Amino acid sequence: MTTMTYQKPVPLKDQDNKAYWDAADEHQLALQKCKDCNTYAHPPGPSCSKCGSKNVSWEHFGDEVTATIYSYVISYRPFLPGFQDDLPTIIALAKLDQVPEVKIMCNVLNCDEKDIRIGMPVQMIWENITEDRALPQWIPIED
Amino acid sequence: MGNISNRYAIVGVGESERSRKSGTTPLHLALDAARAAIEDAGLNATDIDGVMNYNTNDSCTSHELATYLGVRPKYVKDIQGGGSSTEMLIGDAISLIESGMLNTVLIYRSMNGASGQRVGRGYDPDMLQTALSGGSFIMPYGSASPSQWFGMYATRHMHETGIRKEHLGHVCLSFYDHAQRNPNAFLHGKPLTMEDYLATPDISSPFNIHDSCLELDEGNAIIVTSAERAKDCKSKPVYIMGMSLRQTHPHVHYWNDIDQVAADYVGEELYQNAGVKPEDVQVAAIYDCFSWVVLRQLEAYGFAPRGEVGDFVAEGNLRIGGKLPTNTAGGMLAEGYTHGMNNAIEIVRQLRHEYKGTDRQVEDCEIGICTGWSGPDIAGAMILRN
Repeated sequence: MTTMTYQKPVPLKDQDNKAYWDAADEHQLALQKCKDCNTYAHPPGPSCSKCGSKNVSWEHFGDEVTATIYSYVISYRPFLPGFQDDLPTIIALAKLDQVPEVKIMCNVLNCDEKDIRIGMPVQMIWENITEDRALPQWIPIED
Repeated sequence: MGNISNRYAIVGVGESERSRKSGTTPLHLALDAARAAIEDAGLNATDIDGVMNYNTNDSCTSHELATYLGVRPKYVKDIQGGGSSTEMLIGDAISLIESGMLNTVLIYRSMNGASGQRVGRGYDPDMLQTALSGGSFIMPYGSASPSQWFGMYATRHMHETGIRKEHLGHVCLSFYDHAQRNPNAFLHGKPLTMEDYLATPDISSPFNIHDSCLELDEGNAIIVTSAERAKDCKSKPVYIMGMSLRQTHPHVHYWNDIDQVAADYVGEELYQNAGVKPEDVQVAAIYDCFSWVVLRQLEAYGFAPRGEVGDFVAEGNLRIGGKLPTNTAGGMLAEGYTHGMNNAIEIVRQLRHEYKGTDRQVEDCEIGICTGWSGPDIAGAMILRN
């Protein structure tokens, strides 16, 4: 069973990021928003990283999430367990179409390293990595 | 910082041997470096009344170092830190001397960076997730090495400015050339050509091994005191004309905003404090954990306009004989790596004209810049003069 053999790090939930990862497990995107300065915060935290306000809440964006690649690195060496079977690895920042101020770090799957480029349109998918956990990832979509 | 122009000086510098396998502890390396710096300044160990260091849980404490120098200082300070910490602790030392609390401060960085704990290797992934801000959004994607983090900024900046791989190569070639003139550089005897550079496969694009700093076993030390007290030292003092330090973005290891860097803010205040302009600077120590970081800082500190930094380095301006001889001992790419302190030591030696009559001396240099950088979020820099 693949769920038993997942070697890569599983995202650890804590009090500040739990809402994001709980939503991810349900194949949904959730982002923290500051009600005072109207900024979306990613990664989330105990208060707004822009203005310091404690008046933060969570907003849900559903399961149809698109973005464009803002930057990337192609990693030819594994620096963490599990990635040795997955080289080269594309690590990227995806700039959300719905909320361009938010960029989410990710891997781009189903993409040859020669094809990755800044501005590439991508769509969020959720990889089921254990029985009850899912990891947001991205795949290229047609321009 | 306020106006401290020319009232403080670096009066002693020293380092241990550098190697990939020291066979000894960071305490021994720190003692070698500290004794060399004290000897260089012509002081007695007991003249030191403040000891400070930065580390990543990979060093000895200031208390231990002072103990085995036979010194009982008034003040010790150990901070967590990497790039820009040299400048930040020099800032602290100046403030404490200014307040009258201390007279003479020794600052060191010592680590078994190759044989002991290596930066970005051998950590427990779950520990990294909790230790780094936003860690759970990074580690699951395999991003645990500084080469991957810095590669991400480099890719974006190169996309925006037209900087190409060859331009990164010119940074490496310039510093490797300097290392060939420095018998103590770790890569002395290992020159690099553009052909070899371009043929070397990437580790984390756009970086190959030459774009990445050396991880070594090494200790470095610097002594700071007032201009008044510097007169009693046997070394030629190198005066601090101005400093600036800054933290900007949130999330040290999860950078959303990679278009601007802390150095963009530091640069402006630095020149104002020092009362000089970029064109007055004759020698440079630019933090070089990766080749690209040098290019971004040359832009931030006004040495070349955005978009023209690649041409600036391709013209050979970083080399001895160029417009801005930089990292003249080989830098962290080719001499050694102590999160910036080895570069600070070299610029002190250049401004003292310690290499006069050799091919290592930047002729008649009077004013130099030394920068620290720890990702887009933190920068510290100082302007020095002889």
